[in-house]
Amino acid sequence: MRLGYVRGTVVLSVAAPALRGSKLLVVEPVTMENLAARNGKGGGKSLVVASQLSPAQGQLIGISEGREAANPYHPKDTPVDAYCALIVDTYDI
Amino acid sequence: MFIARIDGTLTATVRHDTLQSCRFLVGQRLDADGVASGEPLVILDRMGARRGSIVIVSTDGDIPRKLLGNTCPARLTVLGLVDEIHKGGQAPTPAAAPQGRQEAQP
Repeated sequence: MRLGYVRGTVVLSVAAPALRGSKLLVVEPVTMENLAARNGKGGGKSLVVASQLSPAQGQLIGISEGREAANPYHPKDTPVDAYCALIVDTYDI
Repeated sequence: MFIARIDGTLTATVRHDTLQSCRFLVGQRLDADGVASGEPLVILDRMGARRGSIVIVSTDGDIPRKLLGNTCPARLTVLGLVDEIHKGGQAPTPAAAPQGRQEAQP
């Protein structure tokens, strides 16, 4: 799981049926330097993340990537490869 | 599988249902020279790794799926704590000793 800041949402009027019910977030992954500096900056390449947890803009989330990102939709086949698995309260590094 | 150094812990009240019982660590992958490289990673731990621990991390999502349920989205889990690393005929390098909370940077 990588960490990233929620920067916005994506809304689709035409979408694969499997995506219904998931919010799509634009997330900027955070680098170790920015995480340690606690400066609210990301630094990574933005990606779209499916979410069922509804984090707010600017919140830090855990992004599960790869085949496992579709596991929460089991047993449905869903073309999701990035999923918001947690919303970070605090971290201690 | 890769070697990683644990840099700290993370808390999350709002998380996927299958992750309710999990402990989360923040770590970084180590390259062949033992230098931390890449992005911070959230890793599930059942082995008691701490800040400063050198660990082996598996990227196999089947492990959390078997332990936590079919709908678990996690992939990275600690497989074990590294004692020392042997490289190309050199003397073994002891892994860094885990730091207690008192020694932690503020």
